Amino acid sequence: MPSRRNGLLTRRALVAATVLGAGGSALAQRPPQPPRVKGPLVWLDMDQQDLDDAYDQLVYAPNRDYILKRCARNSELARERLGAPKRFAYGATPIEALDVFTTKVANAPVSVFVHGGAWRTGLAINYAYAAEMFVNAGAHHVVLDFNNVLETGGDLMVMADQVRRAVAWVYRNAKSFGGDGERLYVCGHSSGGHLAGVLLTTDWKKEFGLPPTVIKGGVCGSGMYDLKPVRLSKRSSYVKFTDAMEDKLSPQRHLDLLAAPVALVHGTLETPEFQRQSRDFAAAVKAAGKPVTLAVMESYNHFEVMEQLGNPYSLFGRAVLEQMRLAPR
Amino acid sequence: MTMQYDDNTTRRAVLAAAAGGAAVAASAPARAQQPRAQGPLVWLDMDQQALDDAYDQIVYAPNREQVAKRRIANSERARAAIGAPERVAYGATEIEKLDIYRTRQANAPVNIFVHGGAWRANRAADYACLAEPFVRSGAHFVILDFTNVDDAGGSLFPMVEQVRRAVGWVYKNAESFGGDPARLYLSSHSSGSHIGGCVVTHDWRKEGLPVDILKGATLGSGMYDLKPVRLSKRSKYVKFTDAMEEALSAQRHIDKLNTPLILAHGTYETPEFQRQTRDFYAAVKAAGKPVELIIGEGYNHFEMLETLANPYGLLGRAVLAQMRLGTAA
Repeated sequence: MPSRRNGLLTRRALVAATVLGAGGSALAQRPPQPPRVKGPLVWLDMDQQDLDDAYDQLVYAPNRDYILKRCARNSELARERLGAPKRFAYGATPIEALDVFTTKVANAPVSVFVHGGAWRTGLAINYAYAAEMFVNAGAHHVVLDFNNVLETGGDLMVMADQVRRAVAWVYRNAKSFGGDGERLYVCGHSSGGHLAGVLLTTDWKKEFGLPPTVIKGGVCGSGMYDLKPVRLSKRSSYVKFTDAMEDKLSPQRHLDLLAAPVALVHGTLETPEFQRQSRDFAAAVKAAGKPVTLAVMESYNHFEVMEQLGNPYSLFGRAVLEQMRLAPR
Repeated sequence: MTMQYDDNTTRRAVLAAAAGGAAVAASAPARAQQPRAQGPLVWLDMDQQALDDAYDQIVYAPNREQVAKRRIANSERARAAIGAPERVAYGATEIEKLDIYRTRQANAPVNIFVHGGAWRANRAADYACLAEPFVRSGAHFVILDFTNVDDAGGSLFPMVEQVRRAVGWVYKNAESFGGDPARLYLSSHSSGSHIGGCVVTHDWRKEGLPVDILKGATLGSGMYDLKPVRLSKRSKYVKFTDAMEEALSAQRHIDKLNTPLILAHGTYETPEFQRQTRDFYAAVKAAGKPVELIIGEGYNHFEMLETLANPYGLLGRAVLAQMRLGTAA
């Protein structure tokens, strides 16, 4: 199903030569690259440059800024139609807050969304574009705010702790906005897909005194589930990886804690690593004998996958609704 | 609401240097353009090159092939989800057929879709992805096949005549597939919207059919006056005549319009495709007839159509609302 080109180098050179619509200005910084001599392999069949590129979305998705802008605008339009969300604090600092778009259905299931942005950008306000789909289908839609890795001194543990506390808050307080805490689902994209994976492999009993089945299902879009290659890539210039962080926050290494069905989604035009991460995580969950599905979106890049969360008939939107047993409408 | 570029030339230069992922091969002729001396003006502020570019989608939408590829993949998936359509002949020749995707509701409204492709390309089967939101919302979705301009010896008349005949067929036969002939709507894209414009400005009395045969139409990214098209390089494959230009310029026949219109374009479309919609909107409005303009911020020509495949997308939402099948919670 994934469209493959003969050589990775060829594909990268091709894509790097590329400018898309308004992505143009963003890509102008990156001139077409001449073929180059490959250096020593640092991960699988990749040298440092290959690996760095495989963790740099812009190399494979030159229309990044164009799609992000469109999703931000569509989020604005969603708020115009639905009204402003309710905003609740789940912690003491100002960023530790969440937006709730409420459905009219009583005692409704709750979807918690974790945004992406390579762990270093993104705000809940720009990720409301899928809210109408959830609300109309009969679910509350919660969009989390949390710190980014630049604000946490390079530490992903702080972010993991925040999103975990946010989920615990939703579980305990769902009733206050008409939600059913026993039907809590998580969803994330990109680095938010990674964090959703972390949520799904959290020891809820040990860390929060909550039942291990706090989360009833998770959909992880275009995420990372083992941090080793990420640590080897240039992302370590801003994430201060440690052995403990790599181990604790690699969901693929904690499948024993996984207590909910997982649906994974990626696009065929994503970077080789972002395709492999989903593929390998799916295989590992399956090998552990736990329920998992993998949906591959033909001819979608990283950000185009993200945008499709707002479409109940896309593989992404459909995966989320099906998991929550909601009919698209 | 509209994002404007200060200088079309600058924008074109940025985009012309461009090729989106899979579009690279297809856009080989769209060589990187150096700033160039402007030739004599042939239309508004455009010289021949500028006008030709304004009627060549790939210059402004380099991801054309990528978007087409996923439309086809999504259509295969849609047919698996909602079942194969009923394929019925509306005329004697092989191509004069239409695909009916039926909703379960009895006596349901019907939307008829007219595809684009610069009058030269595409077939009904590859647009099945548009059907699912309508079928699930309680409408039948009919996708037309019709000849193309190359098979018609360069004339646009046979295409327009076929599509009009197909609409007449649906009106007369709607009851045979559970449709309500009194609630017939049309939607279309690109050159399909040119044809759609000719359908809604047709004098249906000649066929002995009601002048309001269509209760609403949503024309996306179309052309409504053929003069500049005739001046462009499209005249290499369309054998324009004075009679064709005059008879098939919808904007010149607004007196016969009896269907409320929604017109739409994206902000990343070519200058001419934006202007055509803007001017047709102004002309219909000036004639005192019901018309609405939707501007898709951050969408190019092909991405605009993708929003019809989503009940929460710009076009999907608009068409469902026009058919009074809103997605409200």
